[in-house]
Amino acid sequence: MDSKLRKIYVPMSETAFYILYSLQQPQHGYGIGQAVKEMTNDEVSISPGTMYGTLSKMEKDGLIDLVKEEDKRKIYQITDLGKEVLKIELNRIKRIYKNSLGEKYYG
Amino acid sequence: MAKTKTQMKIFTIADYKEEEKWLENQHSNGWKLIKINLPFFYTFEKVQPEKVIYQLDFKEKEATDDYIKMYEDYGWQHLGYYLGWNYFRKYESAATSESDKEIFSDTESKIEMIEQVFKTRMLPVLTIFVAVMLPNFCGLDKLDFSPSEIVFTIIYLVVFALYIWGIIHCGIKLTKMKKELEK
Repeated sequence: MDSKLRKIYVPMSETAFYILYSLQQPQHGYGIGQAVKEMTNDEVSISPGTMYGTLSKMEKDGLIDLVKEEDKRKIYQITDLGKEVLKIELNRIKRIYKNSLGEKYYG
Repeated sequence: MAKTKTQMKIFTIADYKEEEKWLENQHSNGWKLIKINLPFFYTFEKVQPEKVIYQLDFKEKEATDDYIKMYEDYGWQHLGYYLGWNYFRKYESAATSESDKEIFSDTESKIEMIEQVFKTRMLPVLTIFVAVMLPNFCGLDKLDFSPSEIVFTIIYLVVFALYIWGIIHCGIKLTKMKKELEK
């Protein structure tokens, strides 16, 4: 991963994290939004402007790929590069979580 | 046929929040936006007064089908694309939560839109100003001041003044909005 991507996505915003995390399964923008609402019990909601912009950026940066277009909806999925970024991010979050409990964690 | 009215109102690229509020006010007074004909000319149709949310999203290029579809999935009606702005509307009764009333859910994306406006609108305008308007302005003293030249010069000075006002107004306002969001 190049340093430019690292700068943008490590750490990433909450919005970016939930979108990338959700795209481990193929999904379209609104579907991602619904899934995120569901898993956070409505605590995190991503509006269409934010969703569209983040998806476009992630596609441009090669973190996600357009799988197909269905009924005018673009369906995306995470790429290998995206998985690499997500893994780093998940590790970071795990470290923070463990540390917050007073435990040591080195990833 | 429903009663309609056309109203002229000028909003600069930095006044989109005011434009949204104005459209919402119109609708709550029973005037629903039908279309924007020329820049600054809004046509409304007489309807029942209602609480409706209007939101504007800046995009350099015309809206694509997938873009409109995503907004529709979220319950936003796309009203059209005029001069870089996509107009959206949602009836307040259809909004399920506070976050459902906005097209942007985080600060980053709001800032990003302002940066887009800066890059694709302010920069070209500034370039034209420096490359064309300013040299022309400096050449004004060489005129021979015949009647037609004077008329031309006056028109030119008015345009020049409006141009400067526009750049300063939009520049300051957009910067302020961005700073406010970055706090």
